[in-house]
Amino acid sequence: MSLLVELSNVGRDFDGGRIVAVDGVSLAIEDDETVAIVGRSGSGKSTILNLVCGLDRPTRGEVRFEGRAVNGRAAWAAVRASRIGIVFQNFFLLQSLSARENIEVALLGNLGGARQRRVRALELLAHFGLAERATLLPAELSGGERQRLAIARALANRPKLLVADEPTGSLDVQTSQSVMGIIGNAHREFGTAVIVVTHDEDVAALCGRRVEISDGRIRSDSRTAAMPKPSANP
Amino acid sequence: MTELTLPLRGLLARPLRTLLTVLGIALAVAGFVALTGLTAGVQHSFASGIDENGADLVVSQRAAFNLVSSTVPKALGSGLSAVPNVEAVSGVLLNITTADDNANIVMAGWPSDSFLWKDMHLVAGRIPAPGDQWPVILGESIATALDKRVGDTVELQFQPYQIVGIASFSSVLNQNSAIVPLEGLQQLLSREDVFTLYEVRLKRPLEKNDIAVARTRLIAAAPGFAVGDTEQFANSIRIFDLLKAIAQTISLVVMAMASVAVANTLLMAVNERTFEIGVLAALGWSPRRILRLILIEGVIMSAAGGVIGIVLGVLTMQMAAKTNFAAGLIVPYLSGWSIAQALIFVFIAGPLGALYPAWRATRLLPADALRRI
Ligand SMILES: Nc1ncnc2c1ncn2[C@@H]1O[C@H](COP(=O)(O)OP(=O)(O)OP(=O)(O)O)[C@@H](O)[C@H]1O
Ligand SMILES: [Mg+2]
Repeated sequence: MSLLVELSNVGRDFDGGRIVAVDGVSLAIEDDETVAIVGRSGSGKSTILNLVCGLDRPTRGEVRFEGRAVNGRAAWAAVRASRIGIVFQNFFLLQSLSARENIEVALLGNLGGARQRRVRALELLAHFGLAERATLLPAELSGGERQRLAIARALANRPKLLVADEPTGSLDVQTSQSVMGIIGNAHREFGTAVIVVTHDEDVAALCGRRVEISDGRIRSDSRTAAMPKPSANP
Repeated sequence: MTELTLPLRGLLARPLRTLLTVLGIALAVAGFVALTGLTAGVQHSFASGIDENGADLVVSQRAAFNLVSSTVPKALGSGLSAVPNVEAVSGVLLNITTADDNANIVMAGWPSDSFLWKDMHLVAGRIPAPGDQWPVILGESIATALDKRVGDTVELQFQPYQIVGIASFSSVLNQNSAIVPLEGLQQLLSREDVFTLYEVRLKRPLEKNDIAVARTRLIAAAPGFAVGDTEQFANSIRIFDLLKAIAQTISLVVMAMASVAVANTLLMAVNERTFEIGVLAALGWSPRRILRLILIEGVIMSAAGGVIGIVLGVLTMQMAAKTNFAAGLIVPYLSGWSIAQALIFVFIAGPLGALYPAWRATRLLPADALRRI
């Protein structure tokens, strides 16, 4: 167990300081944790998540990943390529690429040959029950399949951290439970730390830690033991 | 998938815009190819036209502005003939005019005793004889184009000429020329006692440096005049430099326009695909890789435009050479070097246009890019 991400007194303003989306947030996340970030709409959850992944730049404070301060787009891109997998609310699949290619695109930065990338992509598709769907475009997939593809893509580079912003936001109860099941499995099988932004308390209850945000600040931060820790041998 | 998959899909996702940009580049390249090919063609056809008559060297005015404006005094002839190893010299008076107010034609006035008459290959009729009134020998092509036969009349320089013979030549310029006795042409042009140039024929057999030696001696015999082979003569004519300068300037402007077209297309593409670029950044694509993605799109469009442009340029050139205006004067001449130049241009102009949009793409904060759906 070691420190994975650390936000120290981080703030993020928009519109030249007129909007303070995040303010004075300090948050340390271990490499085996599952964290739910909850809070009302507009409270700053997505902004915090963006700062954790280096998709956004803090106005104040510092973000450290695996103990090192990361600065600049290129440095963050390198961290994301090898360490962080992101699942967005609307999946953000590339529409002009097939299911297999959507995964390969994430591997391009990391994995040498085209052949290697293809093998790894097919492996992941098979793991998520999408083997038959490899050549289809995202538009030709069902909602559930798209989700699994998005998660498969996020896990393509065997990340240390899986980040998901409202992964169940637009889904019915049953599908959202299956998504959380997949994310939970990733945590157990690959030992991936997980941060989920959600306003669904049922989803939050599945995580080992619950961080509540309001008005850009941490209101509460509590640990439960809901999600089992990763097993020693996945 | 490889690094080319995404740029190719990107281009194919916007087929019309891609096509129009490629066409823009192609037209720029075509313009360059056609312009340089035609300018070089004028020069080349003059050189080969003079070459064919059997002259080894040409004595002309230094840096004459155009082909017919060179002036060499008649008095120079005896000095040139006296140069050792010279077999014969012949003054030639050239004029560009229209035949029957219809087609371009080069008129060449030759003295009746010129060695040039001997090598002529007549397909009909005979060479002019003493006592002929305004006789002319037409090149085969122009005779066919004007539908003229021996015995017909053709108006040259506002003077009706009697066709006494039709000759065949290998150069297009000569095929479209009219050869007349010197005296009549001098009278029509009011250029008595001068020639456009002297053609010099050396004694056979020609040894390796005979031409160089003769050239030095001819320069001594005609101080202040230019002496060179036919290619050098064509190269020394000023108007060709002017034509080249014009062609190059226009080409440069057209190429710059192509570059702007690439920039515009890719800028729109980058704006439209802000979101996609955000996704790539979120997946860990480095700014360098994203830059390369946009640049590759620019290079693909340029390469396609370049190839289409060269084909289009060659076709345009051939068509332009067949118009009434150019027929008989211009034989398109495209060197490998000008094709290489066009391609070099394209591979600079395209990526140059892509550079700014690509740079813009890398400046985007991924979070901002992803907000724009
Ligand atoms: N790029 C931006 N420019 C201006 N304001 C922004 C920007 N991003 C976020 N905000 C503002 O910052 C605040 C926090 O936004 P954020 O998206 O983090 O909220 P959230 O908790 O994720 O909300 P939701 O649950 O609706 O997704 C909001 O008031 C939002 O309008
Ligand atoms: Mg949000």
